[in-house]
Amino acid sequence: MAVLSAWRVARVTPLGELHTPPRMTAALLRLTVQIVLVASLWRGLYHATGTTAGLDRDQAVTYAVLAVLASRVRELDQYSGRDTVLQHMHFGTIVYWYLRPLPPQRYYALRALGEQVYGFAWALAGYAVCLAAGVVRPPGSAAVAGVFALSLLLGQLVMYYVMLVIDQLCFWTLRNGAAIMILIFAQNLLSGVYAPLWFFPDWFITLSAFLPFQATLSVPLSLYVGRIPLSDAGFQLAVQAGWVVVLALFTRLLWRRAARRVISQGG
Amino acid sequence: MSLNALRIIWRVTRLNFRAQLEYRSEFLMMIAIGAIWQVSVIVFATVLLSRFTGMGGWDSSDVLLIPATRMLAHALFVLFLGRMHGVGRHIQEGRIDTYLVRPMPVHRQVQLEFFPTNAIGDMTVAVGLMVGALSRSQLDWTAGRITYLIACLIGGMLLEAAMFTVVASASLRFPAADYWSRWLEELLGTFGSYPLNVLPRAVGGFLTFGLPLAFVAYFPAAVLTGHGDSTGVPYWLAAASPLLGALAYLGARLLWRWSLGHYTGVNG
Repeated sequence: MAVLSAWRVARVTPLGELHTPPRMTAALLRLTVQIVLVASLWRGLYHATGTTAGLDRDQAVTYAVLAVLASRVRELDQYSGRDTVLQHMHFGTIVYWYLRPLPPQRYYALRALGEQVYGFAWALAGYAVCLAAGVVRPPGSAAVAGVFALSLLLGQLVMYYVMLVIDQLCFWTLRNGAAIMILIFAQNLLSGVYAPLWFFPDWFITLSAFLPFQATLSVPLSLYVGRIPLSDAGFQLAVQAGWVVVLALFTRLLWRRAARRVISQGG
Repeated sequence: MSLNALRIIWRVTRLNFRAQLEYRSEFLMMIAIGAIWQVSVIVFATVLLSRFTGMGGWDSSDVLLIPATRMLAHALFVLFLGRMHGVGRHIQEGRIDTYLVRPMPVHRQVQLEFFPTNAIGDMTVAVGLMVGALSRSQLDWTAGRITYLIACLIGGMLLEAAMFTVVASASLRFPAADYWSRWLEELLGTFGSYPLNVLPRAVGGFLTFGLPLAFVAYFPAAVLTGHGDSTGVPYWLAAASPLLGALAYLGARLLWRWSLGHYTGVNG
């Protein structure tokens, strides 16, 4: 029964997407064009350059294309579904999250799980096409593939908790539009979506080492392309796991505090 | 536009600004967001410039003029015409229907929906980058060049506004079309800051004639820095970028008016 209700909650957003074919067509077109543009850009940049920042042309193209695919994992139009924390706080409907037989934290986690699995299916299909077309290189070995998969999973968990913290911010600030935008930019910049972190100055790499963003994308992709050798993978995975634990505890605390701030019908 | 209309615009803008101050943390973060967005573009451009010197046969000080022009044009767009971005939400929430019965043009009401606090951050960083780019530039900044640069900034602003107005017009018919505006912003940020001749000819052609991104900053910077003959389009076309921006905006406004005339709300 619990599994059935979990399934029903998790499939809400994917079902919403599947019932809007124009949005899916647009997503497909956008993903295709973005991959072509990004691959062309990095090939063009490497035209007169050999290896730079420890990355050769194929590694850089693979990294950039995988970053585009990975950014697809949680890129759904949640606002249209009218089920964001921001909207519930604005309209006062957040109180229903606390009146249902399902705890709000579990509801939020199940919705996010559904979204991430749906986005992952897109990313996986895109990866298969890119691999077949020779746009991206396959992983160096089975061990690299395994470590990459584990690192990607941990990265998605970190991503989930970071998004959750931003949503929980609404309980105190009522609005989180700016915080979400800051998060998206920070995430894109500090996780290496715009450009692999290896191209950035040393101070920038050091700074991002103290933040959770590089654990979301830069680490798994660097492991995949071989920029982080397998011998260093243990440490990187431990850092990612550390972020998962810290953020899980922090968000748990915030859920507890947030519940005290929800007022129903004026008191 | 009459003097009375200008007075109303000024009053509404002042009220909107005060309304933004209601949520202080959000207000400060919105300023930060503008700055962070622009800084992220700068960092990206700087990283590429330092790692791939001589990009597209351009000197790095010349290349810097591209992101500076684009970002300042973008900041002007955000400040004056940026509410076209995201107009799909007004349509989805039925607010456009209310606008239609008020005694003010719908386009103006959309622009006066809220004060773009993030434009403060956008503008600060963009002006800073432009000052930096001009101080590093080896060019002789004559009155003619400066006038052309100003025209290019206005043209860039209008061209960006035209692209978002086209998407907004499509949203009047298909509200989900608003999805494209986010992608458009992303494309402008990612591919608008360096010489497009590093890209394959077909891709460069798409970003010139499919999505006229090249006319926002790349062509104007090429003309200013003497690379106007190597852009892949006739020199006169590259030089006419500001004019094309104005024409594109005019066309987009006509399209908006036509789309609004054919708009049917949820009640038919």
